[in-house]
Amino acid sequence: MARTVGIDLGTTNSLVAYMDPQTGLPNCIAGPSGSTLCPSVVSLDPDGSIIVGEPARRRLLTQPERTIYSVKRLMGRGVADIQDELRLFPFRIDPSSKNVIRVQLGNKFFTPPEISAFILRELKNWAEAHFGESVERAVITVPAYFNDAQRQATKDAGKLAGLEVLRLVNEPTAAALAYGLHEKQRGHVAVYDLGGGTFDISVLQLISTSEGDIYQVLSTNGDTHLGGDDIDNLLQAFVHEKILQQHRVDFSPHSELAQELRKDLIAIKHQLSEGESATLRFPLPNGAVYVQEFERGAFEALIRPIVDRTMGPVRQALADAKLKPGEIEEVVLVGGATRTPLIRRTVQEYFDRKPHTELNPDEVVALGAAVQANILDHGVSNMLLLDVTPLSLGIETYGGAVAKVIPRNSTIPASAQEMYTTGVDNQTGIDIHVLQGERELAKDCRSLARFTLKVPPAPAGLPRIEVKFLIDANGILQVGAKDMRTGEQRTIEVQPSYGISDTEIERMLEESIEYAEQDFAERQAIEARTEAETILAATQKALGTPQAASLSAEERAAIDATVAALKESVGGSDYKLIRKRIDELNNATMHLAELVMNSAVSTALQGRKLAEV
Amino acid sequence: MSVASTATPQQRSYFDLFEVPRKLWIEMSALEKKFLELSWKLHPDKFVNASAEEQELSLKNSSELNDAYRVLRDPVARVEYLLELEGMRKEGEHKQQAPPELLEEVFELNESLDELREAKASGGDLTSLKSRLESAEKNFQEKLGAVDARLQETAREWDAAIDGNAGGTERKGIMVRLNELLNRRSYIRNLVTNVAKELL
Repeated sequence: MARTVGIDLGTTNSLVAYMDPQTGLPNCIAGPSGSTLCPSVVSLDPDGSIIVGEPARRRLLTQPERTIYSVKRLMGRGVADIQDELRLFPFRIDPSSKNVIRVQLGNKFFTPPEISAFILRELKNWAEAHFGESVERAVITVPAYFNDAQRQATKDAGKLAGLEVLRLVNEPTAAALAYGLHEKQRGHVAVYDLGGGTFDISVLQLISTSEGDIYQVLSTNGDTHLGGDDIDNLLQAFVHEKILQQHRVDFSPHSELAQELRKDLIAIKHQLSEGESATLRFPLPNGAVYVQEFERGAFEALIRPIVDRTMGPVRQALADAKLKPGEIEEVVLVGGATRTPLIRRTVQEYFDRKPHTELNPDEVVALGAAVQANILDHGVSNMLLLDVTPLSLGIETYGGAVAKVIPRNSTIPASAQEMYTTGVDNQTGIDIHVLQGERELAKDCRSLARFTLKVPPAPAGLPRIEVKFLIDANGILQVGAKDMRTGEQRTIEVQPSYGISDTEIERMLEESIEYAEQDFAERQAIEARTEAETILAATQKALGTPQAASLSAEERAAIDATVAALKESVGGSDYKLIRKRIDELNNATMHLAELVMNSAVSTALQGRKLAEV
Repeated sequence: MSVASTATPQQRSYFDLFEVPRKLWIEMSALEKKFLELSWKLHPDKFVNASAEEQELSLKNSSELNDAYRVLRDPVARVEYLLELEGMRKEGEHKQQAPPELLEEVFELNESLDELREAKASGGDLTSLKSRLESAEKNFQEKLGAVDARLQETAREWDAAIDGNAGGTERKGIMVRLNELLNRRSYIRNLVTNVAKELL
């Protein structure tokens, strides 16, 4: 059976993890570079191929116009929503984009889900290389405060990457799952998650029942536009201004120089988490070098507004859970930005409790996703996760007001039924506008969808149509309708306000094949061929050594036969056959390898003896 | 135009789902225990590898369970639900009218709110206006507390009527009073929220 993995699709880095059946603990899978972090950076090569991760990150400096980072900030959002982002991030947006943004890389345009799909596909490849078998299902994490459109966009990305998304799990909840295994905690837990671009706070209750452990989320809050990136932006703006004043050098925030500066400032930020000071030396195009000494105190004063912005959501989440800071038994820190000492201190002071930081804050969300993937994969388990919807669901009423039908922090799945009728005779349609948010006016909430309920002509007030709004376990809205007079069920075509329609997704799926790497078997065959070439070359070399003369005639014949067999299999695409022949050749050359090895060892020993004399 | 409500007659009631009588006092720990017990059985996570029909059914059942728990856990929502279930309260029918005995105070309050908004716009002195509004807010908070106490009292009457197998007329009388209290509560609560918003 194909494997199921957990994926943390992050703003800065993405990770893939699985549950190790032997240890019963989740593990992150490393990529080709040996690191478990895959930078969430995508680059379009001039030859048309897609480059993801560390190699793409290097291209941020050399080919910024073909490379994109922090695409998560654009997921599920319209052009009007991202004007702030555009000032700070070098996104090149197709000017004709409206409700679905299209980003330019080189001469091509991609939607944010398509770009995220490239990252997911890369992680899928890492996992397949690790297992030696295909991976088809995944649990993907999202910020708890993601709205419907952002969640749908993430699910679309999974589909485009060829993954069945078993569940979207909220990042802080995933972190709690990972810690739960680690610590066996009980009681009220607060998870403070400051990632690259998003902030979440969740309050959970851990309950032991006779069937097993329940992780019940009581409340969640956050800001999907607040993260470590904002600290980088602040530093960058600060230094940019200084350089302008002192050296009269002005450069576009989108230039290569700006990317270079950003990279150096991120290093300064990391140094200030460890030490008390750090020095920036930044060479300018005019030959001058800008030097800036940063003291931790001054750095903390600079970033304090960002840290303070996280505390409003923290207080709201506690109020919604009807708890006081002192009633929280455990506090967990998640996300790379929580390495910042000021953040640790602030959280510790507020809860008057030392927060947990034992698990790697970069990996903990992916590890939790792997735990949930394992729970879902096996259907039966002694753990259950009950999560909530972060935002109230509402319907627009007269005068642009919003009637809340599902309040925020409702356990999901959650639903609400509303009965609709007509206001005038022979009215054939009723317009319905669904929104998400806490504000009272429709214009201040997030529009999710508009649709028209079709009504058979009848006197006013006679039709009775029940509309059911349902938020599923992924936090995504479904709408259904029922004609109460005829009992007829109807499906409703809901055109999302900020999403990609199903037909567009189908088209993208077809197109994605163009960019997709070869399928699993083909990639395995390529890897097996490379390995075969290496071993064939090594055998050839060994046969040319004087030691080869000591082989018996049978041994020599066996080697020649297996070499021929392997050479033949390499021409085909059956990777299992190639691997089998490699093993056979390995067996046939065992004696030869020993002979060569012994000779090499004795030469080496002799060499050492000589040197020691 | 939305005319009704969460409760449709042919559905199993939230009280039935939790196997509790249609009474207004509910023991919270027992309710939570039942909720967790049913969650184990119904949650979609338990049906990931099941057929599409079973998944659909799990979604329906678990959302219903969560909706029921949300309503029954909240003492005010519980009263509202009971009245809807008994056909004594319809969403949209009850207009937000000021209870007559409050008219004068509400009038004064609205005047003070207007003055505060004007003063904010023109940059005038807010201190005395704010303190006047703060005391008005406190006054209405107290009234809200009083309504809640009466609501609780009337809820006990309802439970006693159920236990004593009281007749339809008596039950109806209690429900009419509960309905009035709910309207009054919602009116005062809106006032308090509006004042609190201006004072922020």
